[in-house]
Amino acid sequence: MKKVLEVILLLLLLVVTHAKGTRYSPPGKPALTRCRSPEKETFTCWWEPGSDGGLPTTYALYYRKESSDTVFECPDYRTAGENSCFFNKNDTSIWVNYNITVVATNALGRTFSDPVDIDVVYIVKPNPPEQVAVTVMEDKGWPFIRVSWEPPHKADTRSGWITLIYEIRVKLEEENDWEMHLAGQQKMFNIFSLRSGGKYLVQVRCKPDHGYWSEWSPSSYVKVPDYFHREKSVWILITVFCAFIFLILTWLLHMNSRSLKHFLLPPVPGPKIKGFDKQLLKNGKSEEVFSALVATDFPPKSSNYEDLLVEYLEVYIPEEQELMLEKSMDLDVGCLKCEGSASDSDSGRGSCDSHTLLMHKCDGVKEEEERQAKEAHGPGYWECGLSNKQPHLLHPQAQAQRQLQARSDDNISSIGRKQTPAGLHSPARRSTEYVEVERVNEEDMVLLQPVSGRCGDVEGYPEMPYGEDYSKVKGVDMDNMLLLQREVREETENCDTSSTVTTTQKPAACIHSAMPVEGEMVLGVNGYVDTATVCTPPTY
Amino acid sequence: MLLIWCAVLILACLELSTRVGTAPICSYGQAGCHTPSLADIFDRVIQQSSRMHGISSDLHSEFEQYFFPSKNLIGKPKCHTHGIVTPADKENAQRLGREQLTEVILRLLGAWGDPLLQLYRSMSQDQNQDFNHYSSNKALEISDMVHELRDGVAKMAEKMKLSGVLGNTVGYISPEGLVPSSSFSFYKHGELNSMDHHDLLYCFRRDSNKIKNYLQILKCTTLPGLDC
Repeated sequence: MKKVLEVILLLLLLVVTHAKGTRYSPPGKPALTRCRSPEKETFTCWWEPGSDGGLPTTYALYYRKESSDTVFECPDYRTAGENSCFFNKNDTSIWVNYNITVVATNALGRTFSDPVDIDVVYIVKPNPPEQVAVTVMEDKGWPFIRVSWEPPHKADTRSGWITLIYEIRVKLEEENDWEMHLAGQQKMFNIFSLRSGGKYLVQVRCKPDHGYWSEWSPSSYVKVPDYFHREKSVWILITVFCAFIFLILTWLLHMNSRSLKHFLLPPVPGPKIKGFDKQLLKNGKSEEVFSALVATDFPPKSSNYEDLLVEYLEVYIPEEQELMLEKSMDLDVGCLKCEGSASDSDSGRGSCDSHTLLMHKCDGVKEEEERQAKEAHGPGYWECGLSNKQPHLLHPQAQAQRQLQARSDDNISSIGRKQTPAGLHSPARRSTEYVEVERVNEEDMVLLQPVSGRCGDVEGYPEMPYGEDYSKVKGVDMDNMLLLQREVREETENCDTSSTVTTTQKPAACIHSAMPVEGEMVLGVNGYVDTATVCTPPTY
Repeated sequence: MLLIWCAVLILACLELSTRVGTAPICSYGQAGCHTPSLADIFDRVIQQSSRMHGISSDLHSEFEQYFFPSKNLIGKPKCHTHGIVTPADKENAQRLGREQLTEVILRLLGAWGDPLLQLYRSMSQDQNQDFNHYSSNKALEISDMVHELRDGVAKMAEKMKLSGVLGNTVGYISPEGLVPSSSFSFYKHGELNSMDHHDLLYCFRRDSNKIKNYLQILKCTTLPGLDC
């Protein structure tokens, strides 16, 4: 029975202890967290209790001073609050090493904390500075803040027992960054470079030479008055200056706008034709435009036409003809001159080469004697001065000319005789005469007869037949149409009047201008309209 | 080469001749000397003592970090200056008076001149550890400072006596008279080891703080001004 009862009791105890869920144990190890002295005259130590082990635990602080083995207990547990020990002035010795231990005691045992050695001189943390005064002052129109304060009243700096250094921090109300200033031992500080109209927060703290910084003093607010007008004047100056610079730049740009435009966008080169007038083209009158293009000075007029004539075609003449040639040199010269004069207008007629096939009287001859002399010799001037213009035509003709000359000397001479009337043309007059093959005689000679009938030279050529096969051009009317006509014998004097011809490039224009002057037909003997005759060079 | 040497010599001569002369502090009161005021002397002395304490504090903390990382294993030593009675709180210090305070300062300064020199020698000779090689310069510095400060405080005392601030009870205190020269054997016979170094540094740190504090009290007692 007893045994059963004991077992039941034990079980009950176990159940009870289990039901409660706690285990009693000696207290946990406390730990001294910190000790601080606010003025180097008293100090306080705080500790952190360990686990209480489930039982009510008491804490005790014991200390031992240096060079003494006497253990003292904390004199004051209450002044500094819970889990603290306050040492008053009588118990505090400076430059003395304290060995402090906290003991936790409960029903089951006691636990000692780790001992801590402190020297009061090195644990000083003062109170924050007091009576912080912030005022706005003015220095030549620019405001600044003057901060002044007093050391904490407990710290005895007056006797030199404690020496404190101070630090200030400032910030604008809406910002997060503080501006720190170290003030040293002074109790007053000035802050400059303030924002106009800003609201500032100021805080001060202090520290002994070798110790801990105090807490920051409560914020002091200060509002800086607006010195807006001063800033505004500066801005006005800056604006004016910038505007001035801008104006100068604009003016420079405008001055150099053209060169800049050329640099950026180079212009497309336009046509450069001498005498080309864009306005005329725009007006739409093409004729005037093109007429303007006709260079009046081309080919260049030079008194010495001989310069233009590069090459002379030399004709080999048998000895008997040499004299004739010599005599005819003047005529050649005259012919040259004729040619030269004729070279000014390329009016579509055959050039000199065609004339070489012709019997013609050149204008340069002024001496009848020479002409008469020529009668004997006959014209050997099949070829006059040749120009380079149509050399290709000349060469085949030259051959023919020589042959003709050889064969028909007599005939030609006779013709030539007849051909030397006194009727001298004006040097400007160019008369063209065609030679026609009359017949070929037994000796295989080609008998030629001139086909002339105009320009006054025509005398005694009554037998010139008019080619009835050919149609004669009466003229060209205003619409550039050839007016054909029946054969009409031509009077010489018609030719005279046809001298005034403007030298133009186109025959149409030539005829055009010739027509209104005369009003008569310009026809060749056999009915051909020879533009060469029409376009006579201007009179000299 | 010869030319270069000549040029160097000439330059050296010029340098010496144009050296700016300094106005010496006249300790014997010669005529024409620029003598600093008592306030200036006080400032200089306090500045020097503050610097000295700073260096010794740095040296001690470095020593502890290097050799003894875990702090509480060290037993706190007994300093050889324990024989000098020093006020341990403000009331005692104020009660002491200027003359005695000055005397205490001078005693403390005198007691440390020789040991610090020994410390420096010991540290510089001990080439095994890098710490000693690096920190022996600091030891030399504070050793010199102690000597300078002692001279400075003595001059200050003289000036104070002259100006009537200090009574004549403060006599000339010879350093040997304060602490027996065998004080050094207080620590150990023969050579010093690291433990001795540590103990010396610990003790000196505290004593330099005392010196600084006593000087500040002396100043604020003698010349109450803006800084006090």
